[in-house]
Amino acid sequence: MDILFLLIPLSVALALIIIAALGWAVWRGQFEGIDAEAQRILEAD
Amino acid sequence: MQTALDEPAEWEGFSRPLAGRDGWRECYLAIEGMHCAACALTVEHALALLPGVDNVRVNGASATALIAWSPRLTRPSAWLAALAGAGYGALPAGDLLLAAPRRQAQRVLLWRWLVAGFCMMQVMMYAVPAYVASPGDITPDIAGLLGWASWVLTLPVVLFSCWPFFSTALRDLRHGRIGMDVPVALGIAIAFGASTVATFDPTGPLGHEVWYDSVTMFVFFLLSGRLLEQRLRDRTAGSLEALMRRLPQTIERALPGGGFERVPVRRLVAGDLVRVLPGEIFPADGVVTDGESQVDEALLTGESMPVPRGKGQLVVAGSHNLSGMLAMRVERIGEQTRYAQIVTLMEQASMDKPRLARIADRIATPFLFAVVAAAAAAAAWWWSTDPSHAVGVAIAVLIVTCPCALSLATPAATLAAAGALARRGVLVRRLQALEACASIDTVVFDKTGTLTLAPMALLATRCRPGIEPARALALAGALAQHSLHPASRAIAAAAGKVDCIATGLTELAGHGLRATVSQDGGRHARQLRLGAASFCDAPARRHTALGLEVHLADEAGWLAVFEFDEALRPDAQAAIEALRAQGLSVQLLSGDRSVSVQRLARRVGIEAAWGDCSPEGKLRHVSRAQRQGRRVAMVGDGVNDGPSLARADVSIAMGQAVPLAQAKADFVVLGGQLGAIPLLLSQARRTRRVVRENLLWAAAYNTVCVPLAVIGAMPPWLAGLGMALSSLLVVANSARLARLPAEH
Repeated sequence: MDILFLLIPLSVALALIIIAALGWAVWRGQFEGIDAEAQRILEAD
Repeated sequence: MQTALDEPAEWEGFSRPLAGRDGWRECYLAIEGMHCAACALTVEHALALLPGVDNVRVNGASATALIAWSPRLTRPSAWLAALAGAGYGALPAGDLLLAAPRRQAQRVLLWRWLVAGFCMMQVMMYAVPAYVASPGDITPDIAGLLGWASWVLTLPVVLFSCWPFFSTALRDLRHGRIGMDVPVALGIAIAFGASTVATFDPTGPLGHEVWYDSVTMFVFFLLSGRLLEQRLRDRTAGSLEALMRRLPQTIERALPGGGFERVPVRRLVAGDLVRVLPGEIFPADGVVTDGESQVDEALLTGESMPVPRGKGQLVVAGSHNLSGMLAMRVERIGEQTRYAQIVTLMEQASMDKPRLARIADRIATPFLFAVVAAAAAAAAWWWSTDPSHAVGVAIAVLIVTCPCALSLATPAATLAAAGALARRGVLVRRLQALEACASIDTVVFDKTGTLTLAPMALLATRCRPGIEPARALALAGALAQHSLHPASRAIAAAAGKVDCIATGLTELAGHGLRATVSQDGGRHARQLRLGAASFCDAPARRHTALGLEVHLADEAGWLAVFEFDEALRPDAQAAIEALRAQGLSVQLLSGDRSVSVQRLARRVGIEAAWGDCSPEGKLRHVSRAQRQGRRVAMVGDGVNDGPSLARADVSIAMGQAVPLAQAKADFVVLGGQLGAIPLLLSQARRTRRVVRENLLWAAAYNTVCVPLAVIGAMPPWLAGLGMALSSLLVVANSARLARLPAEH
């Protein structure tokens, strides 16, 4: 059970890192104009 | 028109210098005719192949493209031509340069939502042990650790994700009023505050109960609703702005040596002499120097009747010239007048709350006061027996009663419907009109330019003996070039460049044009009339033309007739069949001759058709139908439809309609797709059904849940779930409207 004292704070830190990563993706505009990207792979060039 | 875009003076209006690349500019284009994601790539290719165009980014969802271009290598007309070659229409969209704050807001809200969602999941994990474990399974130090971890992850939700609720609530309180966010913010603050106290002091007066999971979940669902609402709203705002995008307006300015040239309005300066054709908009405030006309100033003054304007009188920018050609001297120019008009139009459309939404707004304030009072009363009553339970009851009451669902019910549905229609090429000018649209039972069409295509081909010319067809055409062209009527456009196009000058021109809407035409320096001046057969004393003939006829006459009587082939819009027949399948009565009203109107009506399957209608006749017809209890939708395109468009319960203008018709219409159909009209009407009926479902559901939910929360039968987590799900259900139900029904 003692390992929980390490794992729970670790999970909190991980969650905060993921939140920051989401923010990075949002501000890079990665959630905008997502329709055309699926088609791009079907294009010849 | 395209040359106006190539004017450097116009570039400032729709593009801006690109940072980091000297001499390059950046500009948004609104693309017409994009239907799918694959279209985005086609557009991208078409633009990227052009020299001097770079960094092409096409957004399929909003049908816009962002490009960088160099004025040294290319001109705007070249892109438009390239896109036209690929089968797409385009307009520069300078307004999108101003939309950066909106994109900023979208991103912030998306991030708030992601933070709330992610933290909610993690906090739930920390909360699960407390729910499933039997007493004594969890040691106090592990329980404390879980509580501490939950607190750390709830902090960003409360401080960052909830910020909009807190700031709105604070603003409302500071202004001494109560809004929807006040109980929400109170509930969140109390729940988080009580939980914090319980976490760090489990033996304190508030007990050891924590509500982190309830708070994060509530915030996540609440933000989900806001996010969906924002998406719907932005999509509609985008389509309203699209309506304001036109090619730069041009106007005929007098040259110093006589004659006129078309210049962009932006290049006018005070003192310029310009002439304004019937159907055009006055480009500036000024004084009439020549001519007589009727002017529609409804947009600016609210005066619905056209006012006569003649020499020496003032005309204001943004009003429409209806009947005659006017020469005017420009006195005041600038963005102010035009700008003010656009702002009015935009505000009018967006401030226009549907009737049901207004009712919901009115009852919201007393309701919210009652909610806060009930929460306080319930908490006070429970405090004496069980203080830890009192906090829970107060939170539950505050959260469960949030009338989000009620206030979302109508706007969410109408916005979703309007967004779907905009993607199909129907712009909703007045949201309220969707409500009226649902009860329409009669659809009245105009003929020329609405059911038939506007550019017409000249088939044949027949003349009075003694006059050459080419000569007659040249005379007709001199008149026709001053009018925006589709038939005049066709004649002007067929005549090409003419050597005669028409002066003192008057347009009698529904009849034709009258002017003095002179050539050779004015020695052979003659009174000419161009228009309907009755207007030109045309001889009765056994042979009737297949299409539209335009007659020319002088003082001596009938001179010539021009026959045009009138092509039916390709989807006219299907659209009318679809309307009849919906059980609507379809009628045709036209200023054209009865014979050709009847023939066209038979061709497309319309039973009730009337020809030879003047604008007053059309208006009379529409009001008579209304007196018989019919709810009339009018579909038109021209100057002579203006009055009937204004009179009809619902007015629909075709996209290439003259500005007057567009300004009066509730809906604008872009790209001339008649097939969109049956869709619009069925969409309106679906919208009405969804709004009723939403309101019924929201009212039922509050009636059931509020008493439960007050008597303490509802824990905060259930209150949060119930409230959020009720709003989500309303938004999800409305979102069904974002998908149009299958086409008939």
